[in-house]
Amino acid sequence: MTVEELVVFAEGLSRIAAAGGGPKALAAHLAGQIDAAVLVEDAEWHHLALAGSGSRSIPPSTRELLHATRRNQEGLIAINPPGGPAGSALKVRAGDAQVGWLAVFPNGKPIAGFEPALRLTASAIAVELARELGGTKGRRRSFWERLISRSYDDVAEARDDAASRGITLASGYVGVAVEAEGLDESAAAVKNNEIRRLCLDALRTGHGDIVVLERGGGFVFLCPAPLEVDAANARTAATMIPKAIAKQHLGASVVGGVGRHVDVLHTYRTVEEARESLIIARRMYGGARIIPYEELGMYPLLLRGASKEELATFGERILEPLRAYDEKHQTELLRTLQLYFDVGQNVKTAAEKLSVHRHTVFYRLRQINEIAGVEMDNPHDQLTLRTAMALHALNFER
Amino acid sequence: MHSTSNAKTAKRDVVKLAKERGVRFVRLNFADILGVNKSVTIPVGELERAMAGKITFDGGSIDGFVRGEEADMILVPDPGSFAVYPWTEGGEIEARLICDIATPDGQPFEGCPRSTLKRVLEDARDVGLTLATSVEMEFYLFTQNPDGTPTTESHDSGSYFDLSPSDRGEDARSAIVAALEKMGIGVETAHHEHGAGQHEVDLVATHALKMADHMITFRTLAKHVASQRNLHATFMPKPLEGQAGSGLHIYFALRDETRNVVGEDTAREGLSDIGLYLVGGLLEHAPAATAICNPTVNSYKRLVPNWDAPIYTVWSHRSANALVRVPFGHGDDARVEMRSPDASCNPYLALAVLIESAMHGIRTRKLPGDPWNGTSYDLNERVRAERGIRVLPKSLRQALDELDKDHIVRGALGDHIYHAFREAKLAEYERYRRAVHPWERDAYLSLF
Repeated sequence: MTVEELVVFAEGLSRIAAAGGGPKALAAHLAGQIDAAVLVEDAEWHHLALAGSGSRSIPPSTRELLHATRRNQEGLIAINPPGGPAGSALKVRAGDAQVGWLAVFPNGKPIAGFEPALRLTASAIAVELARELGGTKGRRRSFWERLISRSYDDVAEARDDAASRGITLASGYVGVAVEAEGLDESAAAVKNNEIRRLCLDALRTGHGDIVVLERGGGFVFLCPAPLEVDAANARTAATMIPKAIAKQHLGASVVGGVGRHVDVLHTYRTVEEARESLIIARRMYGGARIIPYEELGMYPLLLRGASKEELATFGERILEPLRAYDEKHQTELLRTLQLYFDVGQNVKTAAEKLSVHRHTVFYRLRQINEIAGVEMDNPHDQLTLRTAMALHALNFER
Repeated sequence: MHSTSNAKTAKRDVVKLAKERGVRFVRLNFADILGVNKSVTIPVGELERAMAGKITFDGGSIDGFVRGEEADMILVPDPGSFAVYPWTEGGEIEARLICDIATPDGQPFEGCPRSTLKRVLEDARDVGLTLATSVEMEFYLFTQNPDGTPTTESHDSGSYFDLSPSDRGEDARSAIVAALEKMGIGVETAHHEHGAGQHEVDLVATHALKMADHMITFRTLAKHVASQRNLHATFMPKPLEGQAGSGLHIYFALRDETRNVVGEDTAREGLSDIGLYLVGGLLEHAPAATAICNPTVNSYKRLVPNWDAPIYTVWSHRSANALVRVPFGHGDDARVEMRSPDASCNPYLALAVLIESAMHGIRTRKLPGDPWNGTSYDLNERVRAERGIRVLPKSLRQALDELDKDHIVRGALGDHIYHAFREAKLAEYERYRRAVHPWERDAYLSLF
């Protein structure tokens, strides 16, 4: 690697660290740079991160590969797993203390001069790990950062690491993203603190401690939700937050979103969904609201650029209650809805085409509202239904 | 000072009114712990003494008033409850006064259900809202044998909301409504219910204490009016196996100084935070409240998966078999309906435990989970577990066990009533358990 390449690489590491990327993201940066699988373990060989392995089989730990006699060696230590790829390991040091191991397994011939990049990465990881060691609060915070950066491969691993940091994990979580709107910069810090306190107070409906993460100038609250009822209550409590904050006359409102109920390993997803919902609540609903992801219909798919499979799943989820009702009660709600849209939402024309009284169409539309959990008069819900109907028409022959 | 003066005026007004209306006898009514309406009848000449709280009775002979040292109890009439019994007009006119029970030293008796409800309502003032209650009372009208004993037969073939041809049942229901209105009890609607001979009368919302008085009066009045037509009115929860049971649906609405605070059309689920907490409180304490709201062994023949009776702690906007129902989008008329109680309950105690449950929900900001808008009978065990939905007690025995575990509901009753009620109901359940029922003979006599 040239000096220029190394400088760019080092700047990349800084950017990742500044964004709270953690060992996993730092390892991924190195893996991309030197075309190698990168394994990070702590000083006791607890797994911290693996990146760039692709479909290759990488040893789960370097513990057995580093013979006792070589563990005290400084600099690069060659490791040769039996039947596996050869690699190199390096101690991750923070001052005099060793805080971990960094190992690389090149995908092909090792890139010439990769050692400086390896050492730079080890230094950046050392800073992260040292920060984790810097107190209970820091250790706990770094666990949650690691959890939502998908650093754990299974629940047991996450649970063990959480326990070692004094955290008792719930079996599920719901993410709630909240950001202040209209804050005067001079008082922003004070008011943000007050908003944080009010949110915590509102969301404290169930079991365990709520985790607060700072994101994008606002907060993401992770509410423990062992059961669906806990998730439902967290969602409902979140939607009450804007009203609670309005009552405090802070001179600011909040916007936010609520992610879906997920298990521990998918905590990252509820955080992403909460943030997406916040963006949609701000851009599509004019802010001053906190909206659950499930109630945003089509928008998250549009924001994210959904795959065909995701679109199909979405369409089915919206229409399934109506289809099930039709099947059970031998009704024509789906057909009525299709016709109603086809004729430009003209009840009279729809009634003529269906050969029923227009009151019947009104009645069916009310039923559709209740069964699909939508409001036909609401343009957002209309988009949801129309899209679902369009997806159905595009994917299934009539 | 002002209130004492008002109270004196009210008492004098009652004596004056009794004279004006030509009242000959006055019944001093009170409910025992089991909700049975009791009365001490006095000639009108004794009314002044009665209003001064000088009429005593032997409390030792009444269910739940069993402590020997408190045998002499004082009846304290509520002047606002004065009403003439319409069916006595034209003869020896009788009026009634509903009474609280006080100890000889004038303190509210802790075994008095009406005083218990008053205490709960007083405690609920900390929430700072006004509570209004309304009820739907369901009952059957059966024919009577020539000797006046009731049958389980009706001679109407009407059904839900039928505009049926005039028959004795319809006439009796109309007469009941007329009598209720004469006694100052507002009726919202009255109609035929699902069962043959089953009817429903919905009372206009009012203060909870007054509503409990109305319910007690309703049961007495309906029986009188029906018997004048050789019919028997029964509020037994499940008189016939193949027919709908009779429920007592209780509605709650809360207002601040200007508006209804239960509904909020723009909020999630159309309910305000207060409305959601109210529902949350009712659901949380429903299993324990069941013993009070469904206090007979027969009550549990109604709480089965059929005839829209609730069996799970579910709330819903539209499901008729949910425990708590909150119709969507009623804005200023929004109210929360509790559907499990039946009219065999003691209305004072039922309202006391339900209001305490609701207020506890508001005080602790208890959220109710999401509504279930399908048929609640479809809920399987896994879904119930995920949604935190509990099964309502299936027997009086189970209900008493739930009551034992819930200190909020027990607290609403107070120690005296809790223990007296529990003892009486355990004995009732034990008698039922030991009895050999016709079903058992039908099933086993020939088989074994």
